[in-house]
Amino acid sequence: MTESKRTSANQELIRAVWDEARDLIKRLEGSTVQRFSVEAGDTKIEIERGMPAGVVASAIPAAAGAPAEDSAPAGADDRHPIKAPLVGTYYGAPSPGADPFVKAGDSVEVGQTVAIVEAMKLMNHVQADAAGTVAEIVTVDGQWVEFEQVLMYLEPAGED
Amino acid sequence: MFEKVLIANRGEIALRVARACRELGIKSVAVYSTADAESAVVRFADEAVQIGPPAVARSYLHIPSLIGAAQKTGADAIHPGYGFLSEDPYFAEICTDEGITFIGPRPDVMEKVGDKATARDLMSKAGLPLLPGTVEPVNTVDEAHDISREIGYPVIIKAVAGGGGRGMSVVTREEDLANLYQSTRATAQAVFKDSAVYIERYLQTSRHTEIQLVCDSHGNGVYFGERDCSVQRRHQKLIEEAPSVHLTPETRREVGEAAVRGALSVGYTGAGTMEFLLDLEGNLFFMEMNARIQVEHPVSEAVTGVDLIQEQIRVAAGEKLSVTQEDVPLRGHAIECRINAEDPDRDFAPTAGRIDTYIPPGGPWTRVDSHCYPGWMVSPFYDSLIAKVIVWAPDRDRAIDRMVRALQEFEISGRGVKTTIPFHLQILDHPQFRSGDITTDFVEHFMSEQTAATAAG
Repeated sequence: MTESKRTSANQELIRAVWDEARDLIKRLEGSTVQRFSVEAGDTKIEIERGMPAGVVASAIPAAAGAPAEDSAPAGADDRHPIKAPLVGTYYGAPSPGADPFVKAGDSVEVGQTVAIVEAMKLMNHVQADAAGTVAEIVTVDGQWVEFEQVLMYLEPAGED
Repeated sequence: MFEKVLIANRGEIALRVARACRELGIKSVAVYSTADAESAVVRFADEAVQIGPPAVARSYLHIPSLIGAAQKTGADAIHPGYGFLSEDPYFAEICTDEGITFIGPRPDVMEKVGDKATARDLMSKAGLPLLPGTVEPVNTVDEAHDISREIGYPVIIKAVAGGGGRGMSVVTREEDLANLYQSTRATAQAVFKDSAVYIERYLQTSRHTEIQLVCDSHGNGVYFGERDCSVQRRHQKLIEEAPSVHLTPETRREVGEAAVRGALSVGYTGAGTMEFLLDLEGNLFFMEMNARIQVEHPVSEAVTGVDLIQEQIRVAAGEKLSVTQEDVPLRGHAIECRINAEDPDRDFAPTAGRIDTYIPPGGPWTRVDSHCYPGWMVSPFYDSLIAKVIVWAPDRDRAIDRMVRALQEFEISGRGVKTTIPFHLQILDHPQFRSGDITTDFVEHFMSEQTAATAAG
């Protein structure tokens, strides 16, 4: 009787630790934290994460609706849009006065930082999720962008 | 008064707040995840900002995006609704730091009342009755044994930081105490990052009674009567009503005044609710305070004639409450049914899908707070509340009749979408519900009755 109580108490503890870990995983989406552990009593869960989800723009599910009118022109070409991974202020250069990350005509690789979106003083790097040539940058420095708003278009590689 | 309020929420409550803003002449800003781009509040609000993907951690709980959206749109206040960040002192503090008014209590006050041990201590000093038990956290097994013996079994061990029915253990036999004490502490540490627990007498049967209040920053507080929320399934409220038929006018006044006194004593501002257990002898025991507007606030609005969201916004802007206690007589009886997109036949599993037919009830003294419309997609990402139906009538019997009529009128259908309307109708039809003698174990008994009837038939 007491033994079964104890088992169910332990199960509750394991469930609680797991819930906490799951919650942390969710909260860490978009961050660069790669390892963490949660423990209580004898129960410990260690998590090692791969490439943080959300840093590469392609990890984000497609928008159900266009966030702003200036997103993508209807019937747009086959240019590849790079979208804002979160709400914030757009910067095209690592610091004021510095050279921009990219300008029209530059070729970019997958994973290359092409811009920064600042949210509450945290600089979030926007990385290219495709290779190609920068065709057009449709955002200006200091502009406030919504989630998934198009920042720039790439001409996909190999189609020149 | 505020110029523009950002609503950091979704669903029916976001629309409810936007409506209050419109009536007060305040501009509203809706924020939405990609799953909510077609939502009613996005259409209704003056502005809307897409803040993230469907996952709440990166949208409705993502503080930088919410603050960013407020700054971008020039909102001078944020209404958190209920759930999400509504009781997060950290969020309230960030809002304050960024020069945005958080519509709710100050962060330090929110933290105090959110800690159950502190809240119990403060409210007991203000004269609110507590169940026999400890006010201070219980720190050792020996202490737990002594206390439990003194107050008598069954006892309940509760996490100081607990909530939502988690971090609680009922102990009926002394020999189980040590194990359950340790496991509750460990759970509390894991879930709430605070292992502190306290112990109190466990009431086998009781009613859930709560007192609505609003306090302004000028030292005024008003209580808006009580609500009975005893019709619950697994700590989820299904039907709420006001007033409680088990409270005498004297008790109502005494406890209402003590609740306001308690709230004012901690510097509470805004709308809040004191939760009590009501035993079968009519004694109330303070449980905890919720530092937010609640889902079921419309039943209090119906019997008092006061728009609680507008009062909440008004006092957050530094104005005085627009009513005094004398202006708040309780009139008639109100009932609310929470209609969820859940299948009662499959253990209340949430049902997502597109709503094809949506015909809400109307007619006299019938209110529907809902964000649904024909074509709206009930999303699997969020909670399953799709509508609140509130009715008022001069007395409880007629209010029940009116609710039955309203629910029979309510048509919601769509592929895969099931609602709790049939379940609500069964409860409303039950003689025990009609009698008003409802305790928090009613739904459980009702459901086993149903199962037995099905098996027999």
